Amino acid sequence: MKNPLQTKLCDLLGIEFPIIAFTHCKDVAVAVINAGGFAVLGEAMHTPEQIAADAKWIRDRVEGRPFGIDLVLPASVPPADTLEQLMEKIPQAQRDFAQQIKEKYDVPDPKGPIALHQWGGLNQAIARAQLEVLLDERVPVIASGLGSPAFILERAHQLGLKVFGLVGKTRQAKRQIDAGVDAVIAQGYDAAGHTGAMGTFSIVAEVASIAGDTPVIAAGGVTTGRHLAAALCLGAAGVWTGTRWLASRESDLDMILKEKLLAASADDTSYSTCISGMTMRVLACPWTEEWKKPGAPDVLPAPYQMLLSSDYLQGANDHRRADLMTEAAGQGVGFVTEMKPARQIVFDMVEEALATFDELTGEPA
Amino acid sequence: MPPDAISARPGFDATLAGRRAECDGGSAIPGTRYAGREEFTGTLSGEYVDHGDPPWRWYRLCDLERKPPGYPADSVWCEAQSLFLIDAAAP
Repeated sequence: MKNPLQTKLCDLLGIEFPIIAFTHCKDVAVAVINAGGFAVLGEAMHTPEQIAADAKWIRDRVEGRPFGIDLVLPASVPPADTLEQLMEKIPQAQRDFAQQIKEKYDVPDPKGPIALHQWGGLNQAIARAQLEVLLDERVPVIASGLGSPAFILERAHQLGLKVFGLVGKTRQAKRQIDAGVDAVIAQGYDAAGHTGAMGTFSIVAEVASIAGDTPVIAAGGVTTGRHLAAALCLGAAGVWTGTRWLASRESDLDMILKEKLLAASADDTSYSTCISGMTMRVLACPWTEEWKKPGAPDVLPAPYQMLLSSDYLQGANDHRRADLMTEAAGQGVGFVTEMKPARQIVFDMVEEALATFDELTGEPA
Repeated sequence: MPPDAISARPGFDATLAGRRAECDGGSAIPGTRYAGREEFTGTLSGEYVDHGDPPWRWYRLCDLERKPPGYPADSVWCEAQSLFLIDAAAP
């Protein structure tokens, strides 16, 4: 029997296992790459200088193996306001409600100014400057976590780079595939962070049905080898995993959050707009639960809700209040029960996926 | 190169002016490492801006019939690949 884990994604990237770690931690990325998987470092918040330094740091540690960097290319941009103008537009009812939460849970003040970063693809010029660095540094895979990377395809391909696009709808996938992306990541509702409304099982199968030879990578709720096997059965050529690595040994996440992730199940995640004004899945916390209650005011749109929640979030993090802290987490978090080295996680996923195929076929894969 | 040094060249496409479209939009969220999706339906004004080289084209979607609850403006700039024409003349 052909090795079911030797997929066209492996051929495309020259990797051993079709497992992609999406991580903000360079140590996790290097460990996964050197274990035979692939890693994409999330750099949306970073300046071009930081991105260049991180690319060099990884390159020095992976012995010629490929790696990727993910940016958040915007897909829509509202007319611009200054931070002060935005703050002035927050209605009093929502301000009062945030203050009530703060008093009820004794949420401490942040230790410093709210760290509302100015980077992160918030407008076209910033995203463009970040992209230029990826091209200059010849980052082997450029991934776009939101907007279409089609406009950069020709230039990236001329440089021998590959471009991946992450989508939440089938029509977005078709656009990007027609434009010539090298792989498309189909992300389902089960995922951590901001997601679309379509479930992973549905979107992966649907995108795979229209993808032709373009590899499809399944994202959303993937934390085990059994998920990997299922994704391949749906027509994917690999998986894009995020939550799995947050609690890995190498992860630089606060230990309090690691422990919360290890203890959490899918029921402990909350999908709402109350953090940022856009739908986002995180570990439930007092902030998410209070905004769901009857009598809570309407959640504000982005970016106003984020301005409102930042005081709570930063106060909780600065003072390491376990009862208040939260982190993005997908619905597969229930399988994240041990703080293993990233390398071990890769091997465990591979072994479990192969065992799953053995069960299905009745013969060793 | 500082971000604000990147060129932005405005233009107008009369063939798109007045066409209804949906935008599968979204952007990064200030203060987080994440991005959020937002959906809009409206009418294209025909205005566009090309950012940088190769050009990254953005269209203005006006008279928004559908926008996120509380969205404060009546127009949004949408990246060309994220726009889907929905009126009868759509190709």
